Amino acid sequence: MMINNTQSEQYLKLTQELRRGILVLAALSQLEEEKYGYALINSLAEKGLDIEQGTLYPLLRRLETQGLLQSEWNVEGSRPRRYYVISPEGTQTLEKLTGEWREITHVMEKLLAGIANKGE
Amino acid sequence: MNLLDRYIHEVGRHLPRKSRSDIQAELRSSFVDTLEDRFGQDASEEQTSELLKEFGQPRDIAASYHPQSQYLIGPTLYPIFRMVIWIVIAAVLGAQILAWGIGIFVDGDAFSVWETLASLVASVPASLGWVIITFMILQYFDAKPDLENQPWDPTMLPEIDTDQEIKRGELIVGLVFGTLILALITLFPQWVGFITFPGGNFYPNPVILDYLVLIQVSLLATILMNIYLFWKGSWTFLTRMIKLGLDAFGVVILAFLIQGHNAWLAANGSTSFTISISLIESNNWELVGMHAFRLAFVVAFIVTIIEIFATIYRMVRSKMASNISAKDFVLKVE
Repeated sequence: MMINNTQSEQYLKLTQELRRGILVLAALSQLEEEKYGYALINSLAEKGLDIEQGTLYPLLRRLETQGLLQSEWNVEGSRPRRYYVISPEGTQTLEKLTGEWREITHVMEKLLAGIANKGE
Repeated sequence: MNLLDRYIHEVGRHLPRKSRSDIQAELRSSFVDTLEDRFGQDASEEQTSELLKEFGQPRDIAASYHPQSQYLIGPTLYPIFRMVIWIVIAAVLGAQILAWGIGIFVDGDAFSVWETLASLVASVPASLGWVIITFMILQYFDAKPDLENQPWDPTMLPEIDTDQEIKRGELIVGLVFGTLILALITLFPQWVGFITFPGGNFYPNPVILDYLVLIQVSLLATILMNIYLFWKGSWTFLTRMIKLGLDAFGVVILAFLIQGHNAWLAANGSTSFTISISLIESNNWELVGMHAFRLAFVVAFIVTIIEIFATIYRMVRSKMASNISAKDFVLKVE
């Protein structure tokens, strides 16, 4: 029982680690049109990527500090919301990261080809 | 909404003032978005509570915004902090022991073992406290050691420290003598003293007998450490610390012994520090013997203090070699 718990905990950590790297790319890809936090969560979830609010909001701020996103408060709706949109610098980064991502997936496909059926 | 207000307030408590209100406002707006989406306009207290649970602990939420503010001394500063700690401990111990040694020889009667130990116990934590406070301030201002821009050169790697290897010969001699002396004073305590050549009279040494238990404990501990060292084959940080502790213990016992001999000699009418010709001519062999014992203990005292310095020096050196060299010691505040 103990071992199972530790194993599943470890598995959870490994999954989180694996996902962490792609979150930046995922967020940038959805922000060509400006969105507020919760809308972005929904739009990612619709496409199959669930991300916790506690992870996404700090990430958006970090990307803004790094100059990849721009944000402003919009008070027109039912309540004030902070809208994020990709910056010109962010667009360039997104392009590069996308290329990187394609390469990685290409390589990983090759690496995992031998065991592909096991994961399915 | 009361629960949400409390939650947002609590998150804010863990956030730096600069970005606090902005993060709080965004968090509130996002939370209400989620709440309305899931439960409609009039969410109940239970529903709010359920969603807050999902969001997570206020402390964790705040931490995810400012991971570096969660450290008293962060990972960037930590290696330097560790190095400084060792330098400070070595410097404070060294200064204290030096002051202690000078105190004994220059101002013989005004020295107290307990007072010195007490000042050691007080001064080390106090100095460490100042180091910690300094580094906390550096952390607060997000100071970064200027290490990144220094090109790394493998040929500059420090040599492997051969000091870590133990010298087995020395160890065996130490073990044999230590065991012999321990056996002798344990089995035949009545023989602890000296025999004079001319008359062949035996005089016990009352001072040594007073501290017999302490001497036995110290000898036994040293023997055990030497056996362990012999088995391990090399010094580690822990064994060096233990050696330092045992040496310090030895210094304390020797100080007691010297003090005891001082008192005994003074009580028996000999206040001079050296063995004078007139004393030998007086044929008072008991006095000469006690003088000789004191001299031996003084020598042992000095040797042990030098040993302590050497151990501290080796520890600092191996720490420095394994951490960062002193020339990297530049801090920049951003």
